[in-house]
Amino acid sequence: MSPAATSPLFRVRGLARVYGEGLAAVSALAGVDFDLHARELVVLLGASGSGKSTLLNQLGGLDSPTHGSLQYRDWDLGHAGEAELTQFRRNVVGFVFQAYNLIPSLTARENVALITELCADPMAPEEALHLVGLSERMDHFPAQLSGGEQQRVAIARAIAKRPEVLLCDEPTGALDVHTGITVLEAIERINRELGTLAVIITHNAILADMADRVFTLSDGRIIHERVNTRRGSVRDLAW
Amino acid sequence: MGLLDRKLRRDLIAIKSQAFAVALVMASGLAMMIMTRSLILSLSTTRDTYYGQHHFAQVFARLKRAPNSVADELAAIPGVATVQTGIAIQVTLDVPGLDLPAVGLLNSLPEHGELALNRLYLRTGRLPASRTSRRELAVGEAFAEAHGLKPGDTLSAVLNGTRQTFTLTGIALSPEFVFEAPPGAALPDNKTYGVFWMPYKELATAFQLYGAFNNVAITLTPGASEGEVIAAVDRLLAPYGGRGAYGRENHPSHRRLDDEIRVLQGLAVAFPLVFLSVAAFMTNSVMSRQIALQREQIAMLKACGFSNRQVGFHYFKFSLAIVVVGIGLGAAGGIMLGHRLVDMYHLFFRFPQLEFMLDTRVLVTATLVSALAAFVGVAGAVRRAVRLPPAEAMRPEAPASYRPALAERMGLAPWFSASFRMALRNIERRPIRSALTTLALALATGILIVPNSFRDGIAYVIDFQWDLVQRQTVTLSLVEPGPARAIHSFRHLPGVMAVEPFRYVPVELRAGPALRRLMLQGLPAHGTLSRVIDSGPRQLVLPRRGIVLSAKLAEVLRVQPGDMMVVKVLEGEERELQVPVVGLAEDFAGTAAYMELSALNRLLLEGDRISGAHAVVASNQWREFLRAVKATPQFAGCVIKASVREGFRQTTAESIGLIQKIYMLFATIVAFGIIYNSARISLSERARELATLRVLGFTRGEVGAVLVGELVLLTLVALPIGLLLGSGFAAGIITTVNTETVRLPLVLTPANYASAVLTVAAASALSALLAARKLADIDLVSALKAVD
Repeated sequence: MSPAATSPLFRVRGLARVYGEGLAAVSALAGVDFDLHARELVVLLGASGSGKSTLLNQLGGLDSPTHGSLQYRDWDLGHAGEAELTQFRRNVVGFVFQAYNLIPSLTARENVALITELCADPMAPEEALHLVGLSERMDHFPAQLSGGEQQRVAIARAIAKRPEVLLCDEPTGALDVHTGITVLEAIERINRELGTLAVIITHNAILADMADRVFTLSDGRIIHERVNTRRGSVRDLAW
Repeated sequence: MGLLDRKLRRDLIAIKSQAFAVALVMASGLAMMIMTRSLILSLSTTRDTYYGQHHFAQVFARLKRAPNSVADELAAIPGVATVQTGIAIQVTLDVPGLDLPAVGLLNSLPEHGELALNRLYLRTGRLPASRTSRRELAVGEAFAEAHGLKPGDTLSAVLNGTRQTFTLTGIALSPEFVFEAPPGAALPDNKTYGVFWMPYKELATAFQLYGAFNNVAITLTPGASEGEVIAAVDRLLAPYGGRGAYGRENHPSHRRLDDEIRVLQGLAVAFPLVFLSVAAFMTNSVMSRQIALQREQIAMLKACGFSNRQVGFHYFKFSLAIVVVGIGLGAAGGIMLGHRLVDMYHLFFRFPQLEFMLDTRVLVTATLVSALAAFVGVAGAVRRAVRLPPAEAMRPEAPASYRPALAERMGLAPWFSASFRMALRNIERRPIRSALTTLALALATGILIVPNSFRDGIAYVIDFQWDLVQRQTVTLSLVEPGPARAIHSFRHLPGVMAVEPFRYVPVELRAGPALRRLMLQGLPAHGTLSRVIDSGPRQLVLPRRGIVLSAKLAEVLRVQPGDMMVVKVLEGEERELQVPVVGLAEDFAGTAAYMELSALNRLLLEGDRISGAHAVVASNQWREFLRAVKATPQFAGCVIKASVREGFRQTTAESIGLIQKIYMLFATIVAFGIIYNSARISLSERARELATLRVLGFTRGEVGAVLVGELVLLTLVALPIGLLLGSGFAAGIITTVNTETVRLPLVLTPANYASAVLTVAAASALSALLAARKLADIDLVSALKAVD
């Protein structure tokens, strides 16, 4: 079944975000239209300043648009208040950051459990860590883990609440190639096995081959959309 | 302004509320230090100047009567520089508008010229004309103010049984009566006790003392031994009914003033030191955090060629700026509060002029101490920062390493929530900082205990003194001790429901080298009106022999129950006896000695005599009672318990109340400052972590809980320590207030502890709220960004 056949999770129309006012106004997003579906793996490509992070922030409920509409299912995220956005982040979205952002005073297992305590139907922290291949390192603190391991804990933390959406901001940015592959495999596996919509933003064009769809951004607009009929496996990417 | 200074200014503005909190705590300590030290300076300088300019005597003596020629013999005693003799005599006064008799101490003015010693300062009007008898009086300022008297007003006095009306010529002050209170009283009662001056001839004639004196003041030549002069004076005056000479340290007014200065000295050191150390700790924590945040900037500055010294000096200036604000606020606050307290001291101490004098030395010392505290505060952090090679400093700090907390390792882990674990592990990871924060919080709790223990002590004294000890309505004293049957004349006064006699005798108590002069009180063994209470507090039944002393008096004389001491009677026929100490009484104002009434009379070999009586008067016949008392010339004085209690409330209680409020304000500032500062530093250190939690879907409240969890834990540990510390502070400070004229009991109530705990809790809640508002400003998007 093609992902596009289902009704979209995100409906984005004319999305714009302007920072500042008057002469100092900077347009970070200048009218973006797209739909994103469940089970899709989407890569947002773009250079620094292209607007891809701004777009991810909008999708994640971290920021609100200046113009346009942003719908998640029946949820009007464009006009949601602070409390509603918190609930959205809490129940729907899993985040993976370039800098991992683990809580240093909690072990791998506890970092995951921190989130599973918040939601209704989470998987066990152990299960989430198993999915990212970290069953052996569950009781280690962040300072005792390598960069790749920390990022995989972050992914486990993001997916443990069975989110419908996984948003990854340069997830391999701070990692070497080999470790990057393990991390991307983890994301790909989650997307495949749990049917989570995964959105990865990156400036690394190589990642495009692993996606269902690739959007290229420049100056706050989508300048190119590419649909891969067949997703390449992470290991086969031309590193 | 250099660029670094511009950076400094902007950095300061960025942390203005924290910097202000530190400055405010520092200001509290400094204000207190400046206030008390300046008060000490004001009081002691004013006193010394006044004593000097008005020739305050060094040795004093009272006697029954000696011919004026004895004055020359006194002057001939080796070591005596100047002698001033005269008459001082207590009379009953009838003051218009006052419905009870008052007591006036009439002092003579010399027939020729001015007083050689204890010279008067004339506030208004003139002194009475000396040669002729014009029935004129000069009045002491405290009494005049209490009654709104001014020159030209009249009042009546009973002189040797004859009622006479006098015109007031002026209002005067004397170095002998800086503290204008009846002998033995720890508190002024300016409504019913006043000091007056009138010409010698008129006063002497009225009491058949013309050509004689009953009062002596002496100054010494430089280097003379006071003890030897006192002994010589006593020998010389003994045949004339001398009641024993004494030096300044036993002079009631001087001693009261000295005690006040001693109390201030106690307050001037300990308390401000606590505040300043807390401020130093806060400066240190703020600066360490600032420097940690600016690690990369420091590296950049060093990479660009700034020396370690320049960088270090830059951050020192940073904290110096905080110190300057603190000193400015502290000096302003100290001077302002000092002025208010000086005004208050005017209630107690009468000087020609008591002006606030800023102790500039303490200002300089305080500045140096604070600057040093600031320097110590930044030194460690700066040293750590500049020691790093620039290349290393420019890299982000490695993630902090943690391990399971002790409580978890002990197997308690399953019961802990994630945020509780975070708090525990954070505390354990930085044990020294956690300990210091706990200590600061404990100090904040502790200093909240002190002012309220003052307040509770005062309340206890009021209840103790006027409910437990004194149960009479009035105390009536006779002009001269009379036979025991005189008690009937008290019993027959209108409205009197119960009476109990008492006998007051001036005595000198001696044990080893220590001696004290006071009124020995003879009371019925099982008195029900004026009672002797021990530390129980239980009523002490006065035994058939032996003497009971105030616990403080026993301490001063170094005697204990069972010891023998010498009682020298200073009235009538002088006798010296060995008397055993049989008990210790609890009291808080002045010191006292008690004996069973008949035992005292046996000691005096006088038969049954009384000096007056304590009485309970029915309130519906109060006016008739007072009228009858006023009309009976045998009554020298009438002390109404309720008005003394009220006087105490309005003077001592109010003054301690003011000090209590000032301390309470400062203590609250410190408590709030510490907690707010800790919350802000925690917020700054964990901003990224907290923002991550927000992004992950934690609500602001949940993140707030994570933020303050650590602080709550530390506060919980600190509270009991703080209550202990506070009890210690209170005990320590109350010991310094524990003088012979004023004492406060150490009263620590659950309400006091509860209020300290609640204040700290409220400060925590408010700080948490303010910090949580700052949480809203955390940039969620920044949390997504990479650190590099």
